[in-house]
Amino acid sequence: MPPNRLRPRTRAVLLVLPALVPVVAVVGAALASAALLSLGLAPLVGEPQLSLDAYRGAAGDLGTGIGLSLGIAAAATLVATVVGLCLALAATAAVRRSRLLGALAALTIPIPHLVGAAAIGLLLADAGFLSRLLGVDPSSWPPLVGGPLWVAVVAEYAWKESAFVALVVAGVLSSRAASYGETAALLGAGRWARLRHVTLPLAAPALGATAAVSFVYTLGSYEVAALLGRAHPEPLPVLAYRLFTSIDLAARPQAAAVALTTAGLALVVVLLSLRALRRLAAER
Amino acid sequence: MTAPRAVLAASRAGRTLLAGWLVLPLVPLLLWAFADRWTFPAVLPQEWGTRGAEEALAAGAGGAFLTSTLLGTVVALLATPLGAVAGRALASRQVPGGTAVLAVLLSPLALPPFAVALGLDVLLLRLRIPAAAGVVVLLLVAALPYTVLTMRAAYAAHDRGFEDEARVLGATRWQTVRSVQLPLVAPALAGAAFLAFLVGWSDYIVTVLVGGGQLTTLPLLVASAASATGSDAQVAILSLTSILPPVALLLVVGSLGRRGRR
Repeated sequence: MPPNRLRPRTRAVLLVLPALVPVVAVVGAALASAALLSLGLAPLVGEPQLSLDAYRGAAGDLGTGIGLSLGIAAAATLVATVVGLCLALAATAAVRRSRLLGALAALTIPIPHLVGAAAIGLLLADAGFLSRLLGVDPSSWPPLVGGPLWVAVVAEYAWKESAFVALVVAGVLSSRAASYGETAALLGAGRWARLRHVTLPLAAPALGATAAVSFVYTLGSYEVAALLGRAHPEPLPVLAYRLFTSIDLAARPQAAAVALTTAGLALVVVLLSLRALRRLAAER
Repeated sequence: MTAPRAVLAASRAGRTLLAGWLVLPLVPLLLWAFADRWTFPAVLPQEWGTRGAEEALAAGAGGAFLTSTLLGTVVALLATPLGAVAGRALASRQVPGGTAVLAVLLSPLALPPFAVALGLDVLLLRLRIPAAAGVVVLLLVAALPYTVLTMRAAYAAHDRGFEDEARVLGATRWQTVRSVQLPLVAPALAGAAFLAFLVGWSDYIVTVLVGGGQLTTLPLLVASAASATGSDAQVAILSLTSILPPVALLLVVGSLGRRGRR
């Protein structure tokens, strides 16, 4: 044994530090720098002066952006959760289990969201693959890409995230549901009773957690809405990106204000979902 | 168990719909990738060929492929050992304030990547940190939650008795790590490295905001081709090129995981 062995607690702290230091440095520095910039305390030109001008200047777009971003995230998460649960049920069913669906969902996971956006674009655009399949003329095809309802954007997130929901929920169900389900069946529970009283309660915590992860991801993701959305109104990430890359240097503090607002919104969603998940765990 | 015919038919229809949901977006990608001419309203391309591939190569797909591979590899090589070491410490329950430390390590999952990149960009410029290094550090931080979570779970299920036994039999500390501990957690290490690679390989917004035009990765090429009109074949072939390596890696990692469980 080597001499002067470190105490276990000291050793554990030393082992955690190499990962903790970069995370604290990057997240801390990024948030602090964005806060200073948005409050006028780190101007690119001129004297630093505390002001809420950036927030006031962006207020109108910020309001629309918050509503739009929350709406897109909610719609995508809802579809992803429902479809993902169906996929998980089919992939773990006691009878006629579908290996194929599980494999297809797993293969969807490593596809980058940007590529998903390109694929959904080729599928849903006017004169896209779906309009050819259905034989609808481009002139009467609904504006799914870049339209007022953000259908293509929601579809891309729902598609990718449904595979994620399916894999996590299927993982939970495959390890625990079979034995409970068999017991319930032996005790005379029918198909629906087993689904309602055995499978769904078992799946609920994983379903809730994956829904929260999908929602927060969608809220803060840029590329899909930028590629498949419309120019106006803008979701928060697209708004922040436009302000940040604008030639007008005065727009930079506004970009930082939008970024901080989005981060705050994401944090609130995380805290709310943690509370809801804890309550769900306490009920059982 | 026997099911009535209606239930059987409904379940079969449901499964077909679900398979269609997962596969349909990839069909136009596969068709466009090898289509030289495909005008409306034809359901299949009229002329097959390699025009998309030629356009993609001319746009710099070869170099972008190498840059993306390098970026993913560097992120995986950094995030996997850091995550493994931190995951082991957290699983041992010896870290003071372990829950708070874990929450901080997972915080990049909750924060929008564009917000972190945007905040840090100004600072990186002032500190004159090279753009590529900034991108790597940001993506490392984005990948750490995945590697920490994976390795913490692996070490929580890991039986330290094997290591103690090796030490009792006279193995040095390093020998124990190399010949006992690492082989036991190898499948989890492969999984963590795969997830970290994906973070680097798929990133778009961090590379755009912080990379300052110095790094041209595959996602950047996909985005620029997809926002231009009339290059659907090029978009499709670039997209396929971005999908195939991670899918191949997933199959490798999956088979490693299955072997590890045996």
